Amino acid sequence: MTFGSWVCLVAPLAGFLAITLAGTRITRSQAGWISTGSVFVGFAGAVVAFLDAWGRDAEQRVELTTAWTWLKAGEFQVGLELLIDPLSLVMMLVVTGVGGLIILYSNGYMAGDDEERRYFAYMSFFVFSMLLLVQGGNLLLLLVGWGLVGLASYLLIGFHHERPSAVAAAKKAFVINAIGDAIMALGFFLAIAHVGSLDFGAVFGAAESGELSDTVVTLLALGLLGGAVAKSAQIPFHTWLPDAMEGPTPVSALIHAATMVTAGVYLICRTHLVFEAAPDVQHIAAILGLATLLAAGVIALVQWDIKRVIAYSTMSQIGYMFVGAGVGAYGFAMFHLVTHAFFKALLFLAAGIVIHHLQGEQDMRRMGGLRTSMPFTHLTFLVGTLALVGIPPLAGFWSKDAILSSALDQGGALGWILFVGGLLGALLTGMYSLRLYFAVFHGAEYAGRHEGVEAPHVEEHGEGPRSMTVPVGVLAAGSAVAGLLQIPGVWHPFENWLEHTVEPLVHASVGEEWLTSALAVSLGVLGSLLAWRAFTAGRELVPEGAIRRTLEHKLWFDEIYDAAFARPAQAAAVGLRDRFETPVVQGGLDEVAEGTLRGASATSAVQSGLLRTYALAITISVAVLALIFLVVR
Amino acid sequence: MSGPGVPWYLAISAILFSIGVAGVLLRRSPLIVLLSLEIMLNSANLAFVGFSRLFGEMDGQVFALAVMAVAASEVCVGLGLIVAMARRNLALDVDLFTELRG
Repeated sequence: MTFGSWVCLVAPLAGFLAITLAGTRITRSQAGWISTGSVFVGFAGAVVAFLDAWGRDAEQRVELTTAWTWLKAGEFQVGLELLIDPLSLVMMLVVTGVGGLIILYSNGYMAGDDEERRYFAYMSFFVFSMLLLVQGGNLLLLLVGWGLVGLASYLLIGFHHERPSAVAAAKKAFVINAIGDAIMALGFFLAIAHVGSLDFGAVFGAAESGELSDTVVTLLALGLLGGAVAKSAQIPFHTWLPDAMEGPTPVSALIHAATMVTAGVYLICRTHLVFEAAPDVQHIAAILGLATLLAAGVIALVQWDIKRVIAYSTMSQIGYMFVGAGVGAYGFAMFHLVTHAFFKALLFLAAGIVIHHLQGEQDMRRMGGLRTSMPFTHLTFLVGTLALVGIPPLAGFWSKDAILSSALDQGGALGWILFVGGLLGALLTGMYSLRLYFAVFHGAEYAGRHEGVEAPHVEEHGEGPRSMTVPVGVLAAGSAVAGLLQIPGVWHPFENWLEHTVEPLVHASVGEEWLTSALAVSLGVLGSLLAWRAFTAGRELVPEGAIRRTLEHKLWFDEIYDAAFARPAQAAAVGLRDRFETPVVQGGLDEVAEGTLRGASATSAVQSGLLRTYALAITISVAVLALIFLVVR
Repeated sequence: MSGPGVPWYLAISAILFSIGVAGVLLRRSPLIVLLSLEIMLNSANLAFVGFSRLFGEMDGQVFALAVMAVAASEVCVGLGLIVAMARRNLALDVDLFTELRG
């Protein structure tokens, strides 16, 4: 198990280093193949580790392997250790599997770009960082991986660095992630102070056993939650994700759909013992998830850019995962993570084929009727959309409803609010996803239903190269069948796989599960029908007016943050510069320099060159010395 | 021994020394400065001989001879400098030679 895991971790790193060090000695497509190969080798390693673990009993599936002691400060030690257990194996398989498919797709999508090598190097680097995050055996290594994926995200969002909007989006993502990182680091400082170690065992043991006071545990949990919320783009740290769509489409698929943004969910599941010791914080996580779920759902109703709709959809679905983790249904949250990785990556990649085919067009209003000219993409996109809405037997149905039934089982006011909110979210999901689907694939060719929009140019050769269509096909197949890993009442291998590692707090009964499913599916279908009706009538789901304007401004979050944080910070910076730095600091230095110069020129006046002055000086000195000798003697 | 006591010779030496110092500091012609320097050296010689007489040792007188030798060589160099200045038609004024430049 450990060998496979080390191979899994090191292969993408080797790929990254190889591409970086080879530089221009390899061709651009060779860089692509190196990157793809390295990640698939990592996938093979993960599969080997998985098969090994599968053959063992549940209790023996945990292994902690240390490379060497990395950091030592007095009593505090941190080792370069990996923790391989069912939870990390799930993530490893998802990251390398879906990641490998997306990088394979990138070979076709990014072909012809001048800086392809840089792109593939960054992609391999990202996969390595994400693996470090999920395999990290202590909180510090997790934090290292956490920071590195943030870096990779920044580098890849700003990949088209000649575009100012892309650079700005990259900065925004990084800054908001840094806020989350800082909050998490503060939590870690508390852990070091009170527990003396950052090893999972030590921290979780201390949290569980009641050794730490309530305040400390709550603060630690809040720190972890802060980091998770920023990385997973939940309210209030969500504003970076829609802008992150400035990056190339495969980047959006990999980082901002399948893997990085789900790191927050993984974190909560991994540190669930801390959250269980601070149940209030866990409930806050669920509530934030619910808020994001609904907010993102309604905002998606008025977006025109394909990628933004899918981005808000991602935000919404991660909200579901937070709800799951918040009520203690860790297994189901992870299950939704896996199925979501499949169908969200599928949606992004299929959208990428459409964008590629239309030579860069991303506005829904300039598309339409593509189901005849792009049948394969149409089918796969439809599969992804239906999986997202949660239509049986596709993947999303099984996972989303599992979370909702867990919320129902939770009971109490919180449980009911989450349940009803989640169902409302299912309705919204139906509405915005089908709106997108119809606008792109149905209606007149390049409908341009709104005036003054002309038809875009079209490429003439097929839907796309095989490197792009094969991964999309594989992901579509995955979206179709992956859900069948969890059929309530019949078999649940996924739940069993994770049960020992992350024991869930709630166990929904079979009746609850089927009831929830019935409600969720009917609402999803209702939403789809509403979208269909609006589409055929040629109108928008949200009519013009104050509500629409608020949604178009994304609930004014950007404006509020700008007024509350960005402008005051800039004003403070300018004020400090004008009132402190320039006069005091710079002025002080200037004064010192000038003083030295003045002293020097005054002193140099002594060297007049006049012989008699020097003679006088000697005479006076001798006289003084003689006097001193006489007095002292 | 008869005659004025040794302190008187030392007093003369001191007075001569002060006159020499005043001359070095106050006169502008390099020739007169050299002259004053000679006066100072001679006053030192007088002091040496006076002390030699006081302690009955010959060391003072021997050293006075050495001082005379040094004075002589120093005058050679000094007068050489002054002659060189006069040959270039430079004004013989110490105040004008403030820079170490050819």
